[in-house]
Amino acid sequence: MSTALQYTLKRLGLLLVTMLLVSFLTFLAFELVSGDPARTMLGTEATPQQLTALRHELGLDRPFLLRYLSWLAGFFSGNLGTSYSYRQPVWGLIAGKLELTLWLSLMSFVLIAVISIPLGIFSYRFTGGFANWPRTALNQLCMAVPPFFTGILFSWCFGIVLRVFTPGDFPGLREDFAASLRHLFFGAICLSIPRIAMTVRMLRSTVISEMNKAYVRTAISRGNDRRTVLTRHVLKNSMVSVVTFLGQTLAELVGAGIVVEQVLGIPGLGRFLVTSISHRDYPVVQTIVVILGFWVVLAGTAADLVNQAIDPRLRLSTAELGGAGS
Amino acid sequence: MLEVRDLHVKFNNRDREAVGGISFRIGAGEILGLVGESGSGKTVTAMSIAGLLPRKQCSYSGDILLDGQDLLHADRSLLRKLHGREIGVVFQEPMSAMNPLMRIGEQVGEVLRIHTDLSKAERKEKVLRAMTSVELHDPEHLYDCYPHELSGGMLQRVMIAAAIVIEPSLLLLDEPTTALDVTIQAQILELLKKLNSELGISMLFISHNLNVVRKLCARVAVMQRGLLVETGETDQVFYHPQHPYTRQLIDAIPTRERRVR
Amino acid sequence: MKKRLNSYLTVGLIITGLMLLITVIGTFWTPYVPTAMKYGRFQPPSWAHLFGTDNFGRDIFSRVLKGTGTTLAIALSTVSIGAVIGTLIGAVTGYFGGIVDDVLMRLNDALTAFPSFLLALLVVSLVGPGKKYSVVIALGLVFIPSFARVMRTEFAALRNRNYVTGARLMGASSGRILFVHLLPNTVRVLLPAFTIGFNNAVLAEASMSFLGIGVTPPDASLGYMLSEAQSMLKAGPWYALCTGLTIVLLVFGVGLIGEGLQAQEREVD
Repeated sequence: MSTALQYTLKRLGLLLVTMLLVSFLTFLAFELVSGDPARTMLGTEATPQQLTALRHELGLDRPFLLRYLSWLAGFFSGNLGTSYSYRQPVWGLIAGKLELTLWLSLMSFVLIAVISIPLGIFSYRFTGGFANWPRTALNQLCMAVPPFFTGILFSWCFGIVLRVFTPGDFPGLREDFAASLRHLFFGAICLSIPRIAMTVRMLRSTVISEMNKAYVRTAISRGNDRRTVLTRHVLKNSMVSVVTFLGQTLAELVGAGIVVEQVLGIPGLGRFLVTSISHRDYPVVQTIVVILGFWVVLAGTAADLVNQAIDPRLRLSTAELGGAGS
Repeated sequence: MLEVRDLHVKFNNRDREAVGGISFRIGAGEILGLVGESGSGKTVTAMSIAGLLPRKQCSYSGDILLDGQDLLHADRSLLRKLHGREIGVVFQEPMSAMNPLMRIGEQVGEVLRIHTDLSKAERKEKVLRAMTSVELHDPEHLYDCYPHELSGGMLQRVMIAAAIVIEPSLLLLDEPTTALDVTIQAQILELLKKLNSELGISMLFISHNLNVVRKLCARVAVMQRGLLVETGETDQVFYHPQHPYTRQLIDAIPTRERRVR
Repeated sequence: MKKRLNSYLTVGLIITGLMLLITVIGTFWTPYVPTAMKYGRFQPPSWAHLFGTDNFGRDIFSRVLKGTGTTLAIALSTVSIGAVIGTLIGAVTGYFGGIVDDVLMRLNDALTAFPSFLLALLVVSLVGPGKKYSVVIALGLVFIPSFARVMRTEFAALRNRNYVTGARLMGASSGRILFVHLLPNTVRVLLPAFTIGFNNAVLAEASMSFLGIGVTPPDASLGYMLSEAQSMLKAGPWYALCTGLTIVLLVFGVGLIGEGLQAQEREVD
């Protein structure tokens, strides 16, 4: 299995490079748009002396690359700078929120993966004649429901009418773990409904296109029945595109989670990002963007690693690609 | 052994019958060549025998009897028992005909897994023996390889090994050498000849190339536009063709065999 | 090209047509003045007020009519930006290939890898939140890559067709070939992509307005109205329900059109 190991190492190396690139580009982008943070913090009536002093305090008078490197070093040692609007270390502000967002995203991801794969297979078999209309309609309907609307419906139904949880009031993981998880679970359901519909649709069409391939005919000619053609041959071949899709979904969940955090009053990273954007609190926004960027890159890498375990051909193509690139 | 009587097949979305009433038989241990240009209905004939017709999309009539058992009208469960067990099929493009994500050994042994109660070790032993008999080198190593790691010629040997591992009574070969180089083509033909004489498996060999058929088959049937236009001993057909279409096919063979396609 | 419409397409067109009709009527006439606060607070739905009234005593049905118009206008303009620029990029890269193609497509891959909603948020934060056009710019930019990719594939495939070579031999200019000979042939992929893009735009705009960084009060969109409705769930749940269902219906109708278009394409193959 040396090719697998080689591939994994290469992929992890690429991951590091991409993460560095993401952090650099983000730093650069915010450098270009953020203007003068000292002026932002002190307002228009600040004296030049005050401005210079604050710039020095924030380290803004050093050259760009040096600031990037020290910011990067700070990033990995947990020193992420100071929030403009809260005047507090960024890391202290976001650590707890990051935890909640991760919980929410992972819960939705598990829901999506666990529900949509069996449902996708079922949806494949549930084909033809009268079955098509209700299936397609249900699918499109689920994709049409925005998560924040589901969130509102849930807070009305389970929050106000049934009183299972209090939508605006998140208990906190440390204070009441079970109640917090229940609260997050409602959010996870809202987030996953449209994405389950998308994954089911995607899996179904992949299985259908795989079924038309020549190897399926070979499998039938050996005496496989419908079920074993599907389970032993087609499913594995369909998995690569499904895993890629799920990887993208995992990456998107954090962004999509923002609205759900807002609706259900979950004090997560996404909600904090939105308030920080409206306050133009650039150190916070920058840090969150880098973290989310890392999350996206990680999700992609994870999907690639799973896929190369499924399909050994992928190891070859990237090995060749890497060779051509370097 | 195999008898086809007045076989008609018509696809719903076509006007003309793909197969318009053909009859022929293959004796035990015999190799029959079925020749015709593409679209002449030879593959449809083979798929009807193999029970791989998309039944909902076509209409069909006639009889296909394998040792007296009707294949054309057999139900699914009977067909599944015969698939692989009694009838092995080798397709044209080995690369696409194999599951890209299943190891070679498992694909060769699939027929055994479905149709026998052999243990895993016994299956592996049989698979390795079959792979040796199709003259694959180092079968132990190939057993754990994936299709993309093998050449087209090797893959076609693997496909043949997978078809004969359980020694079916009939082997359908649908243009098995068309996608291969000429030298590999010759080797595969030799191999088929050897398997036929050693195991006594009857074969239906389909090709658009009369010259290839001549090297392998004792008898040949020529097909055009869904009909058999000529059937007979290969040499007879080759040297004294009765039908103008057969003559055309013979004339199409380049005189110097250097560039046989 | 004349073919019988399939049932998805028919139902989708009916729903979308109704929504459009309502919107068009809404821009010229609403049963009540949408901003007038004089119809009694928290009236439940009745014949007089189909969707009831809100906390200020405004008629929700009239507001939804106006809001749908805003949502539609934003969604259409963002998808159009994405489709036009994306098609141009796709046409150039797909038809000419070469280094421009390599560079642009790599950039494209990097952009599509990043979740589009986050990207849109970022653009808004850079352009300036709360401005009317910032959502349109942000979402428009975000939709370019997906259109560019689809169209590039299509143009690259069409490039080598015989009629293109023929037109080239007759001395047609590249521009003419691209837009007179090739563009009409890409409609079969452009249309479904447009429906999907439209739905994503509606949902994204609604999300951003819901978060308060999209369209702001005087032109309330459906998303903004939902965020208002959320705070009145207890007293007037119908506000959220009616507004939300309008979004669902809008997206559902267009989704069915997309489904129908794709189904028709499959039948042709």
